[in-house]
Amino acid sequence: MAPTDKRTRMSWEFALPHAWAGGSEEAAGAGISDPAMENEAFAGFYERSARPLWAYLARVSADPALADDLMQESYVRFLCAEGAPALARDGEAAARSYLFRIATNLLRDHWRRPRTASIEEIPEEFFAARGQATQTDAQILLEPALRQMKPRERQMLWLAHAEGYSHREIAKVMGLSAASIRLLLFRARRKIAALLRACAADDGRKS
Amino acid sequence: MNFTSCPYEKEVRQLMARGQWPDACPRELRTHVSTCRACGELVLVSEAFQQARAESLAAARPVAPAVLLWRAQLRRRNAAVERVGRPLLGAQIFACAVALFAAAGFAGFEARNGVAWLTWSYWHDWFVQLPQAAAAQWDSLSSGSLAGSAWSWMVLVPALATLVLLGGVAVYFATDKP
Repeated sequence: MAPTDKRTRMSWEFALPHAWAGGSEEAAGAGISDPAMENEAFAGFYERSARPLWAYLARVSADPALADDLMQESYVRFLCAEGAPALARDGEAAARSYLFRIATNLLRDHWRRPRTASIEEIPEEFFAARGQATQTDAQILLEPALRQMKPRERQMLWLAHAEGYSHREIAKVMGLSAASIRLLLFRARRKIAALLRACAADDGRKS
Repeated sequence: MNFTSCPYEKEVRQLMARGQWPDACPRELRTHVSTCRACGELVLVSEAFQQARAESLAAARPVAPAVLLWRAQLRRRNAAVERVGRPLLGAQIFACAVALFAAAGFAGFEARNGVAWLTWSYWHDWFVQLPQAAAAQWDSLSSGSLAGSAWSWMVLVPALATLVLLGGVAVYFATDKP
């Protein structure tokens, strides 16, 4: 395979010289040492993690537009964070866990913020996206059930059952102890199972 | 609520993670799941979430990674600029303090000498006497006898005014962000 020609490579850094000069190497975040290599590594990591992260944010927040914003913000914070795990040194699993932690904190911040937006300020796409979202089978059952769960329960359930995270990994992402996660997850699972059964029964009666 | 987990849960979870549930798993396990509450809930919830995840993955429209790298670079650069500009805050505070000190000193000085300078006649006389007083001051400076002569208000007022003006200019430049 021929070596990559730097002049022909479509990298943002060639269009923006000294792109990493905004901070020191220490401040560059994600253990960036060689910008070109890190650029490619990040692109690969992003390719593999962006969709699962968006799915997590969209399902837990029930707001695709918000998920778009929070996903971008999560990656920007990941890239800027001084303590972020380096892809090459710490591995992708650690980086992904850190990324989900950032996203979880952003969601928490969003929920804590006072809601002042009026109905006129909400874009039409929000409702369109929600309308489309109710067309699939999984969402017909899962969406109403998830809406009745607390935000923290939604986060835990998604990480455990959609992402397949262990109790320890969820604890790391959510900033709780593994023992607490085990108990809270058990309760949340029991609750959503009952809701799913109820939704399925309702659906059966209607059809 | 009883917090009891089934010993088969781990096995069921592993089979689901590998995509072997329900077709490629032993019949005994399937029978167990149909009768065990914990395992039944695990399968029900996991299947719902896995299906929702698959749909969401298909619906995701992530932006190009270069956009995020660019935004991160901008943010780091802004943070670096802010770090560099932090010492300027000290200069601003110092300039403000000097200006305030000068203003307070001037006010104190004038308070001791009365508030006659607020009247129109005072300023009229001042302008009339200005050339003579300036000439006298110049003579005293040129003869080197400034140390012996008392500081007159004619020197003090312009000096303080200049100081305040320069303080204001310094504050302006210190707060002027690119």
